[in-house]
Amino acid sequence: MATVRIQKDTSSKVIAVIAYLFVSIFAVLCLIPFIMMISASFSSETAIMQAGIGLLPKEPSVEAYRIAFLSPKYLAGSYIVTILMTCFGTGIGLFLIGMTGYVLYRKDFFLRNKIAFYIYFTTLFSAGLAPTYLWMIKYLGLKNNYLAVFLPLLMNPWLIFLMRNFMKSIPYEITESGKIDGAGDFRIFVSLILPMLKPALATVGLFLALGYWNEWYNSMLYLQNVDFVPLQYYLYNIVNKAAALNQSVAGANVTVGHLPTQTLKMATAVLTTGPIIFLYPFVQKYFISGITVGAVKG
Amino acid sequence: MKNSFQRGLALFLTTIIILSLASCGGGDAVSKISSKVAAKSSETDKKIDTSEHKKIVFLVLGDKPTNGRMEASMAKENKLLTQKINTELSLQFIEWADWQAKYQLALASGDSSIDLVGTATDWLYAWPLVRKGAFLPLSEDMLSTYAPQTWKSVPKEDWEECTSEGKIWFIPEDQYTQWTNHGMFYRGDWAKETNLSNGKVTRFEDLETYFDGILKNHQGVIPWDVSGPNNLWGLLPGYLESHTQDIVILGVDPAIFYYDRSDPYKVISPFMDGQEFVDAVKLMKKWGDKGFWRSDVLNYQGDTRSLMYAGKSGADQHHTQTFVTTTRPQMNAKQPGSDLQFYYWGEENKNVNRDLITHGALAISASSRNPERALMVYDLIRNDKQIYMLHNFGIEGKDYLINKDGTLGHPKGYDETKDALGTNFWYGRIDKFEPDHDNWDNAAKKQIFEELDKVAGKYALSKFVFDPTKVSAEIAALTDICNSQMPSLAYGKAGDPVQAVAKFREALKSAGYEKVKTEVQDQLNKLKSSQS
Amino acid sequence: MTYQTNQSLKAKSKWKKWRDSRTLILMSLPAVLFFLIFCYLPMPGAYIAFTDFNYQKGIFKSRFVGFDNFRFLWQSGKLWMLTRNTVLYNLVFIFLGNFLQVFIAILLNEVRLKWFKKLSQSFMFLPYFISAVLVGLISYDILNYDYGFIPALVRYLGGTPPKFYSNPNAWPIIIVLVNLWQTTGYGSIVYFATICGIDPTLMEASEIDGANGFQRIRYILLPSLKPTVIILILFSIGGILKGNFGLFYNLVGSSNAALLPVTDIIETYVYRTLINQFNFSFSAAAGLYQSVFGFILVMVANGMVRRIDSDYALF
Repeated sequence: MATVRIQKDTSSKVIAVIAYLFVSIFAVLCLIPFIMMISASFSSETAIMQAGIGLLPKEPSVEAYRIAFLSPKYLAGSYIVTILMTCFGTGIGLFLIGMTGYVLYRKDFFLRNKIAFYIYFTTLFSAGLAPTYLWMIKYLGLKNNYLAVFLPLLMNPWLIFLMRNFMKSIPYEITESGKIDGAGDFRIFVSLILPMLKPALATVGLFLALGYWNEWYNSMLYLQNVDFVPLQYYLYNIVNKAAALNQSVAGANVTVGHLPTQTLKMATAVLTTGPIIFLYPFVQKYFISGITVGAVKG
Repeated sequence: MKNSFQRGLALFLTTIIILSLASCGGGDAVSKISSKVAAKSSETDKKIDTSEHKKIVFLVLGDKPTNGRMEASMAKENKLLTQKINTELSLQFIEWADWQAKYQLALASGDSSIDLVGTATDWLYAWPLVRKGAFLPLSEDMLSTYAPQTWKSVPKEDWEECTSEGKIWFIPEDQYTQWTNHGMFYRGDWAKETNLSNGKVTRFEDLETYFDGILKNHQGVIPWDVSGPNNLWGLLPGYLESHTQDIVILGVDPAIFYYDRSDPYKVISPFMDGQEFVDAVKLMKKWGDKGFWRSDVLNYQGDTRSLMYAGKSGADQHHTQTFVTTTRPQMNAKQPGSDLQFYYWGEENKNVNRDLITHGALAISASSRNPERALMVYDLIRNDKQIYMLHNFGIEGKDYLINKDGTLGHPKGYDETKDALGTNFWYGRIDKFEPDHDNWDNAAKKQIFEELDKVAGKYALSKFVFDPTKVSAEIAALTDICNSQMPSLAYGKAGDPVQAVAKFREALKSAGYEKVKTEVQDQLNKLKSSQS
Repeated sequence: MTYQTNQSLKAKSKWKKWRDSRTLILMSLPAVLFFLIFCYLPMPGAYIAFTDFNYQKGIFKSRFVGFDNFRFLWQSGKLWMLTRNTVLYNLVFIFLGNFLQVFIAILLNEVRLKWFKKLSQSFMFLPYFISAVLVGLISYDILNYDYGFIPALVRYLGGTPPKFYSNPNAWPIIIVLVNLWQTTGYGSIVYFATICGIDPTLMEASEIDGANGFQRIRYILLPSLKPTVIILILFSIGGILKGNFGLFYNLVGSSNAALLPVTDIIETYVYRTLINQFNFSFSAAAGLYQSVFGFILVMVANGMVRRIDSDYALF
């Protein structure tokens, strides 16, 4: 069969123009502050504070990076811990979320809505800071344990519902034909459904990975005495220490040479964002445009 | 198969539920144990049994050091501690990120592994924590048995400042002289360019002359660059302190309740009543309009001290300790010839007080399993010179040196940002063992300390412990109004001063000011009658 | 006799339901356990909002104080203003945000140049990573009167520079724009992925039928996005009283009284009042208020959607 020729009618051309225009403007608007951030990280603290951030570095200096790299062993350790957690967390979480999403997708499952509500309810009410902390430390015994950071991020109601929603585009007949062939629900899920979910898995996987990569809150609460803490928290700490010592009550007690705060914030942001910029292109190839798939099939 | 599975599942779920219900009573069990221990210790005679090796944990503030120096000096310190009292000490750090929440959580969790707790009545919530049951009461018996040197060296009236409802709750850092009274740092060289006599700022209004001078002689420099969000009330308290004999009552939020030096037991508020506050706001508007600080000061988050070091700002506001240990030495190095000076609030009318002895204090956690041994460790850290030096300064020769003139220095190549020890013992330092650092401006320190020592009074209400339970909602509302409206008043962003002050006072009244004031007065009256 | 048979039939069929779905039940177990352990079991701790929390006694043995801890929310008379601000901002974020995300996703789909698509998507993704603190710094550098980019530009062009930080009217717009800037790229990914999942034969068929670009978008793309949009909006409604604290605190701060009436939300208020008196019970009370409000709202919204088409409902 001949390949389908995509007609370029006027309205398509107009839409294309609008698309390129808007997307370019928006992309540039998103890029510029990021460039400002990078420039600021390579500037000197006083230049920034006096005259603010610009597109180019002011009084170029690597002082902020020097401070951030003061303990290279610990920085490297943080990277490793974060990468490990991200990889395992994304892998395991993706599977669990996919499975849960499938269960919720099955209209014939009589507990479906109850479980959906059960999961969603947790986004409405939470125990609060102190009770959650007490629960994790006292009853789950997770003080100083990486699991305190790793486990809570595995499943996320929003991602579960997102997954269920992606699955809705999979025709129900697939499950039914699987059942007719005698396969159990789990096998249907693994062999028939999962392979059809590439964009869904890519999206949810991306968000999951980002959740792990950016995590610092639970690390701050529960990891007091480990050697290597997740990256975001490690860098957050450096910035906070500078700020605390420069201005706080305790500053009176400590004589410290002056630490740059603004440029330090920028440098730490660059250090955490950098790797993600490299991750995203890998994920992008899973967002296969529908038309391309069609062409191959045809 | 499914039967056993379901049984297993049911068992599993039941176990979880039972565990969660059972642990609800955890706190109670712990308090029973610690009261038993406290009782037992008061029954022992003076013979102390140290046959069992124990590990004591000390909760301190600060970032966990990563350069290995603390571990090295702690190893030596622990050798000595084991030798003397068969104990090992380790530090648990509350890191700076969100430290207020973490500090409270650590104590709220009833973590029984914590023994010693560093605290303070002004910035580490000591009294609210006492009320919340976080600390173990220290009986005279306990203290005299297990911390005899400390017990003997702290005079009775100092113990009384740590007492509430007849019990001692923490040990004060009362033998360490520090001055944390606030004021303004200004450059001596630039002050000389104005017509200030001797080039010195000696009263609040002189600051205007100084700032005017900067605007005139140094273009591009902001007279006093300040970050509004980091200095919410600006110079308003300072103005009040320099124009009245009012002293703020500590421990009551928000800090608008004062007493007059001549009548300590009467609550007043210069913020609510009187003309001084209106004059202050008027002056701040004038200064703001003149351009002494940035126009968007209320949203500026920069680090203005660095700007002063870079010569872009002409002043910085903080306290004496910072002046002698940090800003003056730094300015000497970074802006040679700047001759940084310090004008402190109340300098002209001698309205300045000594530091609280509980600016640093040591408490024992209520859930500690070894309170006696913890006290013994503290007694040694505080009073044994060898252990004190190891704990506070590290290993001699590697972390510090004592110079010929007796000051403390560091070996060549030592970088404070990289090599600091980080044990952060701010809870029991004593002057006897604290040498001056060679990178402080010790001449200035001596001069200022002596001057302050001569003029300073004593805070009269150090025994006053305010219980806010009945008025906590009103206090929250008052705090909200103060923290949201005061900055605009302090930096001249509130329009006509007279109207703005009237509006502010009106808002405080409707938020419950009178109720709180009455409550404070009632509790003060109770204190007064219990003392007479 | 019939009665007994009906009962036993019912019992039998109930048991059969569980038996037949046992694999699905097992498959749902990880989620059920996860949320049980990490969310439901600690949830009773929310009781802390009704007590004078004593650290020694623990949550459940502390003194019960009823609604005393909630008083600080209305003591200052600001509760209505705070609630209104929070809700309005969130409504705009939700509806305008999702609209923009759909818009960008559709546009992206129309872009044919692969490298352009990939590059621009990567760029649009970046703002999500810039922390709220940095956003605050950057916007200060753009807006401040003394040396900010916009006032400087206006000065250069000969006009009087605007005083953004003294003008409350500018801020709803600024805050919404910044939030949209930060979240659109990230949020559009979901919609873009949904579009990628559209059955390609559908698209081809419409081309053959002679549908033009606009018609394609209107009759195929939009309807296919509709379920996702509804689900995401419903999901967000539960959090309508929960503000993006980081955004508001760093962009506007909480010390500028002129701006507060239009920019103060519940969380910045709570933060400001509790700075010095650290009080777990108070913040728990505020959290409970936010939760109950959101719960009622989402139950109502979900109920309404369910009545229209139960397929679109959340549960």
